[in-house]
Amino acid sequence: MAGIAKNIRALTRQAVVLRSFALRPATVAVHKCLKSSNSLVASNQFLISNQRLVSPVERCYSSKPPLSLKLITDRVLLVLKLYDKVNPEKLTLESHFINDLGLDSLDHVEVIMAMEDEFGFEIPDMDAEKLLKPKDIVRYVADKEDIYE
Amino acid sequence: MSQRGKVVELYKMLLHLGKDYPHGYDYFRKRLHSAFMKNRGETDPEKIEKMISHGQYIIKELEALYMLKKYRTLKRRYYNEDEL
Repeated sequence: MAGIAKNIRALTRQAVVLRSFALRPATVAVHKCLKSSNSLVASNQFLISNQRLVSPVERCYSSKPPLSLKLITDRVLLVLKLYDKVNPEKLTLESHFINDLGLDSLDHVEVIMAMEDEFGFEIPDMDAEKLLKPKDIVRYVADKEDIYE
Repeated sequence: MSQRGKVVELYKMLLHLGKDYPHGYDYFRKRLHSAFMKNRGETDPEKIEKMISHGQYIIKELEALYMLKKYRTLKRRYYNEDEL
């Protein structure tokens, strides 16, 4: 009887070990999505979470993938391409909305509203008037989101 | 706020309200754009002020339209149309 119990205990221990190994890739993936954690903190948390039987669920509340200048540029250009009054062939980073792309001031307001929707923050009228090229918008968004080269 | 700012704000407000317009957003957007463009040359501040207040009136009309639409939809769900 005692022998069976010992065997069962040994088996469950193995199962626990297996489980902790299985969890490892998942926890690593979760840590990758935490933007702020530096490597030291990350490795500490990694140790702690490995010692626990049940790994804590780490959630990324309202976190978003880190923006880069290139990503912002692509998103700005995509929004502009999808806007029906802009000719995608003429569109470059340097093209002036009103002089080169032939939009009027009302269309410009619509473009700015589309950017607000895309990046999820409000652009005050004062600033919106100055954003006359796609490049200006990219720079403005990068400044707001604290992204530098 | 300058009158230009007021007009831009009005335009934004109307565009926002137009997103659920029964005929579709694009229909509304084109009409709104041409309505604003029709008066682009206006320089008399008093007339512009009048037009802005007309715009405010349109906002109220749109709100009423949506409320009516909602009321009708609810009514249709709860009552059989033949009974009424």
